[in-house]
Amino acid sequence: MKDDGKIQKNDKTEHMELGKFYFLNNKCDEAISEFKKVIEIDAGSAEAYYNIGLTKETCGDFCGAKEMYSKALSLDQNYKSAREKLNKLIGLEDE
Amino acid sequence: MPKKQFGVIGLGTFGSNVAKELEKKGMQVLAIDIDMDIVNKMSQYVTQALAADAVDEKAMKDAGIADCDTVIVSIGESVETSILATLIVKELGVKNIIVKCVSQWHSRVAAKIGADKVIYPEFEMAKKLVENIVSTNILSQIELSKDYDLIELIAPKIFWGSTIKDSGIRSNYGVNVIALRRRVPTVDDNGNADIKEEVNMVPCADDEIMQNDVLVVIGSREALSKIKKV
Repeated sequence: MKDDGKIQKNDKTEHMELGKFYFLNNKCDEAISEFKKVIEIDAGSAEAYYNIGLTKETCGDFCGAKEMYSKALSLDQNYKSAREKLNKLIGLEDE
Repeated sequence: MPKKQFGVIGLGTFGSNVAKELEKKGMQVLAIDIDMDIVNKMSQYVTQALAADAVDEKAMKDAGIADCDTVIVSIGESVETSILATLIVKELGVKNIIVKCVSQWHSRVAAKIGADKVIYPEFEMAKKLVENIVSTNILSQIELSKDYDLIELIAPKIFWGSTIKDSGIRSNYGVNVIALRRRVPTVDDNGNADIKEEVNMVPCADDEIMQNDVLVVIGSREALSKIKKV
């Protein structure tokens, strides 16, 4: 059981890193697919949702990005970067 | 160089925000409203806040409105009060008067009695909002003249990977790209992903249009309407 947990943690990190690699290289679909794999392993990963939001925003899908930032905030209310990005897309002034 | 002096008459939502923003830009702001509570709240944000009746010529004179370089009349509740206040400010010799209007008739009368500029913030916002809702790839639009606009457009897919020259934006659509905004994905040393924005203010014909780009485009309304449909 302990080993399973370790393997899952490694998988999660790997998918997250791979997602970031694709994100950096403007491969939106591949990046989102990797971040979604992180969510399959850890449904409470606010960072994965945030990263999907960033990827969608980079590719011009602002509605999708807002949805993902909101999801990240619902998992972690103190997620400052997600709050800032969401506020910017909605048009709210920084607090 | 002495600071420019601005007067704002009427401190509703629009007027108070104009006054605050002017002050933030380092201007001297004289803010006037008939409501003492509003004036008290504004006093912390502006150079001077006064409670006075905008249609009382003596009160306006005593307030020093004549010393202002520009006066913004932002009285929305009563067209009559707005018009009278504009007339008084004009007669006191203010060089530049901007009047917030609520209707075409209001603006016509304001212009006749000497307003240097009339604005309809609600009408202008409504137009912008509709433009953004109808064309989802348009981020913003600024009216430059009667027939010409400047728009921020999410780079259409057909242009991705082409240079500005090869995309045919100018030759086929008759518009000019005056800037390129690019959303650049980044990951810092701690592994945190983010988006950095780079602005190319002087794009060359050989600059490539990429997937994450926003094109700042200038052209006639007719030409822009074509590119919006791409």
